[in-house]
Amino acid sequence: MLNTLSDTIVKIETALAAMLAAAVTLLILLNIVSRALGMAIYWVDELAIYAMVWTTFLATSVVLKKRQVVAVTLLVDLLGERTRAWMQCFSDLMILVFSAGLLVLCWRWLDPATLASVDFDIKAFQGDTFNFVYSEKTNTLGIKKIWPWLILPFISISLSLHALNNLGTSLKKAIYFKGKAK
Amino acid sequence: RDFRLGLITPPPHKWTQAAYAFAEDVKEKSGGEHSISVFPARQLGNEAQMVQQLQTGALDMAFLTIAEVSNRVPDFGALYAPYLVENIDQAAALLRSEAAGELLNQLPSEAGIVGIGYGMAGMRQVMSRDAAQGPEDLVGKKLRITPFEPIRDFYKAAGSAPTPLPLPAVYDALANGQIDAIDMDFDSILIFKFYDHAENLLISNHMMFPMVGVVSGRVWKDLSKEERQLLQTSMRKHLDGVIDHFQQQEKLQEQQLRALDKVVIQEVSKDDFAAAIAEWEKIWSEKAKSLPRLRQAAAEIKGS
Amino acid sequence: MTFIVFFLLLFAAVPIALVLALTALWYIATSGNSVLFDSYPQQLFGAVESYGLLAIPLFMLAGELMNEGGLTSRLINLARIFVGGFKGGLAYINLVANMMMAAIMGSAASQIAIMSRAMVPAMEKEGYSGSYAAAITAAGGLLSPIIPPSMLFVLFGVLAQVPIADMFIAGIIPGLIMSALFFVVIALIGLVQEYPRGDWPDRQQIKSWLWMGIPAASIPVVIIGGILTGLATPTESAALASLAALLIGKYIYKDLDFSHMPEILMRTALNSGMVIMLISAAGVFGWVVVYEEIPQAAASWIADQTSDPFVFLMMVVAVLILVGMLVDGIAALILVVPILLPIAQQQFDISPYQFGVVVCLTLVMGLLTPPVGAGLFIGSAMTGIGPMQIFRSLLPFLAATLVTLVLLSAFPELVLMLI
Ligand code: NA
Ligand code: NA
Repeated sequence: MLNTLSDTIVKIETALAAMLAAAVTLLILLNIVSRALGMAIYWVDELAIYAMVWTTFLATSVVLKKRQVVAVTLLVDLLGERTRAWMQCFSDLMILVFSAGLLVLCWRWLDPATLASVDFDIKAFQGDTFNFVYSEKTNTLGIKKIWPWLILPFISISLSLHALNNLGTSLKKAIYFKGKAK
Repeated sequence: RDFRLGLITPPPHKWTQAAYAFAEDVKEKSGGEHSISVFPARQLGNEAQMVQQLQTGALDMAFLTIAEVSNRVPDFGALYAPYLVENIDQAAALLRSEAAGELLNQLPSEAGIVGIGYGMAGMRQVMSRDAAQGPEDLVGKKLRITPFEPIRDFYKAAGSAPTPLPLPAVYDALANGQIDAIDMDFDSILIFKFYDHAENLLISNHMMFPMVGVVSGRVWKDLSKEERQLLQTSMRKHLDGVIDHFQQQEKLQEQQLRALDKVVIQEVSKDDFAAAIAEWEKIWSEKAKSLPRLRQAAAEIKGS
Repeated sequence: MTFIVFFLLLFAAVPIALVLALTALWYIATSGNSVLFDSYPQQLFGAVESYGLLAIPLFMLAGELMNEGGLTSRLINLARIFVGGFKGGLAYINLVANMMMAAIMGSAASQIAIMSRAMVPAMEKEGYSGSYAAAITAAGGLLSPIIPPSMLFVLFGVLAQVPIADMFIAGIIPGLIMSALFFVVIALIGLVQEYPRGDWPDRQQIKSWLWMGIPAASIPVVIIGGILTGLATPTESAALASLAALLIGKYIYKDLDFSHMPEILMRTALNSGMVIMLISAAGVFGWVVVYEEIPQAAASWIADQTSDPFVFLMMVVAVLILVGMLVDGIAALILVVPILLPIAQQQFDISPYQFGVVVCLTLVMGLLTPPVGAGLFIGSAMTGIGPMQIFRSLLPFLAATLVTLVLLSAFPELVLMLI
């Protein structure tokens, strides 16, 4: 179940990241062309930057799930297969700690519970919490900053799922080696 | 207690120098009870990130450009009204006026910060790669601005193509011709030698460039009356010093630029931009309710 | 304690980006400044939200399209016409290509990423060891911030309020010294270890390679021409290069199959995401460290140890190699320059140009030293060769860089002569 869910999400994330990477290049080309024609578009750079930011976070989720990450394996390479399996569990656990931690921090930051309790009245929310996250604007796009920011809660959830799934797999493997050793 | 003050200018800049002097002053006046660590050059993040940290109370104080503030409280855009003032002396007087001071009252509820007082940088001018006699020569030109709405609307109204670009990118972009002109002050023009690749200077004084010294609302709430008094008095004094500094420096720097052989100077005035100003008013009289009040204060200053 | 947590996570093979991000979290939790938790997500986002970083996905895609469209291999064939028969020819070509690339790129991390994918497979095919090929490429990346234009120099110019053009000029002699030393290192290594010798092409091959190489050679022309004509900024020129590579690969060489585009875009997204995430996590780490005023304390400690400018600069170099290990160039520069530059100028009377060149070069060198060298990991991720293997092959180049740094610290004229 979890496995299927995680696999499906990662496929979507990969596809989105690839499309956004293309969007970055297309937007920059648009920037070049429109400027050359003397019709520079004010918001293109900012949109390209947000596309890149989204690409980055989505890609992070994907590479962490696929374990295609850069890590110092200097020490781990010296260990036996069994210990290494446990180290993998530890590493997966740390990814889970990070993503779950990020989820908690996003919850504190965006405070959806309070927002709902004031019936999504942003003025009232700001008065209550001194938190201005929902009225922050982007520089040139003319939209609220909360929209680009939503990528953070999104990947903290998806990465938590991936990490949980990976941890399950690596635990099974570690226990298998333990059984074999006996 | 130990306060933290953040700002975006690098250590040699006058704003940063004033921040250090303010820190020194507070330490002395409080008999070492309070100290202020200064974090220049966006060490704690850009202005948007600093504002967020002010709101949570992670950062205690900051010197912010009005650009950043007007992004949250559009009324501050009124301070960028083209030709609200016509020279740096009027700008200084207006920023010290009651009308400008009243604007600060909106900050606590709208942005969670407490405005203490104003500082500023030099008046905005235009430098162009191609010869420019007046605004008509900027039509259709790619003109670099810092990305905020009042200034964008002004240049759009003037018929040029406002192009936002971060300061580090400006020199290269002028050299290669990605942009044709820049909106800049004397200070930066001299420091970064922008005249290397854009020799034509329009002395337009079309806008002032205020800065505001703020304290986190959360932090302010918990300060005693004496502490507030101390911070307020001292910060105002040093912000005022910044205004004085730019007032004096502006004239010297203008002379410095006039003395440069390669720089071709043309003076332009309010009348040259009349159409653009009218257009700008149409947009901003809606958004910035304080505009009439500021105009009136400015008229009094000009009259006196 | 924070150090223990950091090294524990690091050597437990936790992904580096998360090592930095988790250490920052740990530090906030134990420092008592829990108010920083409320800014953490926004700082993580803000660290990526930068125009300069756009160069990474843009040049990555250009590189992928050049490889996939057969442009890279034809460019290398073109170079073979001139040096193919020399022993170690490709090693020198790699360095020259890096010098040219350095004049376009501002970022060492992105240069290493792109050049590794282009040069290492070609060198391996010719018979060089993978780790040596990767090492030369990474060393070439060290030239990126020194040979103008340089993102680091631009930023330094703004931080120190000195004209950026003068900063670029300051980098010319140091860049030449370093390039020369690198050539010497390659030649010396050639004495010890036998380089593969390619064959000189015959007349027929020369004709075909020359002919086929011309379209591919238009890529650098597009990049440089785009910049010089004012059509594109250096960052944007990568998008032009992508477009040109796509057209040439598809319609001239006919090597590029549009059905591979999703695959290409996916690799671009994942590879650049990996690099940028590392930079972002380093940014958050730096933010926490600066907030706690640790670099500030370290700087005043250094300043108290000596009154000699040369000794001061060498101490700065030693410390910044450590900083560079953890934090990428731009984030590191913002972190250290505002703290160190006033001391250097006021207490030691060091010119900002000399200071800037030394600091930028040192920070980039830190990219290539373990335990945490983003450049090493990027090179490793792009080539599949272990970071420590690359590091061992890199040692002579790092020694040459260190020699350059000593020279620049001892003789300010080397930097100031042309200004
Ligand atoms: Na360069
Ligand atoms: Na390193």
